[in-house]
Amino acid sequence: MSEYAVSMEHITKTFPGVKALDDVHLHLKSGEVMALLGENGAGKSTLMKILSGVYTRDSGDLVVFGQKIEGDLDTKKAQALGIAIIHQELNMCQHLSVAANMFLGREIVKGGRLDKAEMNRQAIEQLAKLGIHDLDPDTSVGELPVGRQQMVEIAKALLINAKVLVMDEPSSSLTNAEITEMFRIVHELKAMGTAIVYISHRLQELHHIVDSVTIMRDGKYITEGKFTDFTMEQIIANMVGREITNQFPRDTVPRGKKILEVKNLKAGKLVRDVSFDVYEGEVLGFSGLVGAGRTETMRAIFGADQVESGTIVLDGKTITIKNPEDSIRQGIVLAPEDRKKEGLCTKLSIRDNIALPNLDIICGRNFLGTINKKTENEMIEKGKNALTIKMPNADVQAGSLSGGNQQKVVVAKWLARQSRVIIFDEPTRGIDVAAKVEIYEIINDLKKQGVGVIVVSSEMPEVMGISDRIIVMCNGRITGEVDPRETTEEAIMTFATQFGDNAE
Amino acid sequence: MNKKKSFLSAPGMASVLTAYAGVVILLVIFAIMNPNFIKSTNLMPLSRSICPYLLVGIGQGIVCITGNIDLSIGSVIGMSTMISATLICNGVNPILAILIDFAACMVVGCVNGVLVGKFKLPPFIGTLGTMTIGRGIAQLANNNYNTGDIGTEPLVTGFRNIFYYQRVGFLYISVIITLVIWFIFNYIMNYTRTGRHIYSIGSNVDAARLSGVNVFKTTSTAYLISAFCSFTAGLIMTAQAGMGNMQAGLSYEMYGVAAAVIGGISTLGGSGLLIGTIAGASVWAILQNGLTMANVPAALRNIIIGIIVVVCVLIDIARRNGILGKKK
Repeated sequence: MSEYAVSMEHITKTFPGVKALDDVHLHLKSGEVMALLGENGAGKSTLMKILSGVYTRDSGDLVVFGQKIEGDLDTKKAQALGIAIIHQELNMCQHLSVAANMFLGREIVKGGRLDKAEMNRQAIEQLAKLGIHDLDPDTSVGELPVGRQQMVEIAKALLINAKVLVMDEPSSSLTNAEITEMFRIVHELKAMGTAIVYISHRLQELHHIVDSVTIMRDGKYITEGKFTDFTMEQIIANMVGREITNQFPRDTVPRGKKILEVKNLKAGKLVRDVSFDVYEGEVLGFSGLVGAGRTETMRAIFGADQVESGTIVLDGKTITIKNPEDSIRQGIVLAPEDRKKEGLCTKLSIRDNIALPNLDIICGRNFLGTINKKTENEMIEKGKNALTIKMPNADVQAGSLSGGNQQKVVVAKWLARQSRVIIFDEPTRGIDVAAKVEIYEIINDLKKQGVGVIVVSSEMPEVMGISDRIIVMCNGRITGEVDPRETTEEAIMTFATQFGDNAE
Repeated sequence: MNKKKSFLSAPGMASVLTAYAGVVILLVIFAIMNPNFIKSTNLMPLSRSICPYLLVGIGQGIVCITGNIDLSIGSVIGMSTMISATLICNGVNPILAILIDFAACMVVGCVNGVLVGKFKLPPFIGTLGTMTIGRGIAQLANNNYNTGDIGTEPLVTGFRNIFYYQRVGFLYISVIITLVIWFIFNYIMNYTRTGRHIYSIGSNVDAARLSGVNVFKTTSTAYLISAFCSFTAGLIMTAQAGMGNMQAGLSYEMYGVAAAVIGGISTLGGSGLLIGTIAGASVWAILQNGLTMANVPAALRNIIIGIIVVVCVLIDIARRNGILGKKK
């Protein structure tokens, strides 16, 4: 029998057009906590989905408790082998009780009736193993704090005899006290001999629980070893790794006067006291991990989300923005992150989409608000030429275009009006290289025209390549500001993971 | 040349053409079954009977394009009929009566707009509430009784003639009024900012909001248009019956859905053209009229109409999927 609970060798997985995993290795022992580390998109989740049977591998060997898995693994088989995942987003039926959730799909039935007493008894027993004695199995899960819900999910995993537990970002939505409690339970599990894969971006917390690390980058296996053999700098260097070549054309324009000033902006959990300035002739990049609060900050400025407090000063004047309509009128516009969900009316034509935010210009002040076809056509023509949108004509449905062309339509919407600040949230996500370069050129043009440009991007090379200044956020706060010409990805990553050591 | 082509190839036009083809086919079938059907003595009243269906089709159609639904349509018709008739019976000047009636009906539209657009109630629930309240108001108007005859004063007779009995050449004035209303809203939907906003919130309410569209205002506008159409349909019914009936307009919200959907408007929002509602309302009225003339008993008539409506929509869905399938 092998010394490993799980060993994965030479795992390869290809999605149409992308090699998600390329010759990846992973070795996990029973009674050990292994941190699986890597940037967003490094392939950690894909690897774990292969382990739990959600995806099937293209090639490679998978051995679980000495048993070589031939052929494809499905979720049922994986469960039977004792593999369970606790997802970042918990999978619970909020309205059902703790016991009902734990026994979901495996309810104990006696004489055609649910045997609630027995299920409650076993639920209590299972929770007690984790050192939880004060949780009533009849409570609705929705009434519990997130940390407690997570405990229920872990108890549920134990109920099916999970011997390999994958925890995906378990601390991301927990309070400090809850994190301490969660760590205690991880220690309990370890003592029971459970093998744990712990995925987290909160590097400062790892030393409390982690025994070994495996680092991935761009779908490839980079290194593994004992946690204590690495310094934090080495871990970050291995996660980031690549050299930045100058593939992003950055035109330098002298920095002009201050356009936008955001002061002490607060809006929900992920925008906590954010302040920054935007100047003419610069591209301000926003970097950070997914969920750092960058999108939320931009949405708050744009009036898309409720703001609790804070001041926004545009060209020296304090302005009030209650909704996107106000923001657009004042000259601050946002090209949102998810173009299908937020950027486009996919059922409507390209024409309608480009015209939609600019109908005030197109309609002028006539009585009924009649659309001036001539102005509209000129506007569409201008947008089409500036961005070389490939389309049969402007009347086809926007949803029928390719991703890159859809993104160009989203950008074209905002080029038609004289805005002071344009915010691009993940402007090149999922689009091809040629379209990316076009978007970068538009960004450069805007910069030269004296428009304030903010670019939120999770792609490190991109944000370093096109920005003149980068603000790094973590957990709803600004944790650093760097000059991309003088900094390294490692430095940004250090700021981006400054959650602080929250465990006590 | 190019312009005409783009008119016929506009998105949604295929569904509209299917609906008009349906109208033609029904006309031919009924003309064969009963030669009297195609005579002007039948077609002229038939055109008049389309009016209420077309009005609710316009109102419900526009609300559907925003991605919502208006269940209060039938009750607003009942309110409109009962309030106008009660006031006239009590000696109020008919013009003033209509103005008061108008205000009352528009309040319902406003409430729908606030409930759905501002408080984000599911439209089915919000307008279910106003539907029940509206019917209650219709009953309350004359103390839970239908009204008596609205009389023969010159102004009252004028009102009844304009909204029902009088015609200019082949066209009843009520048909002209309905077509003018259709024309105005068709213009608004296709050529104005308000229309674009209505389509945009039905297609993707988040994207519309992030493009600066005021979702509350736009939703309210759609419900106000719907209330206005129901108000007008109610007046036609008052004029026709010469009295107020508490049950007037019952189920008309569903006739509105039928007219809109047969005409190619999706209940999911964001697509459809108002020009289709004319065909949709016509199909409905022609079926009622044609089957009656073919001596089909009322119960069987309902079953046949129900089946035909479902089949019409199924054909349209199949056609759309077929086209989508080809593209893939």
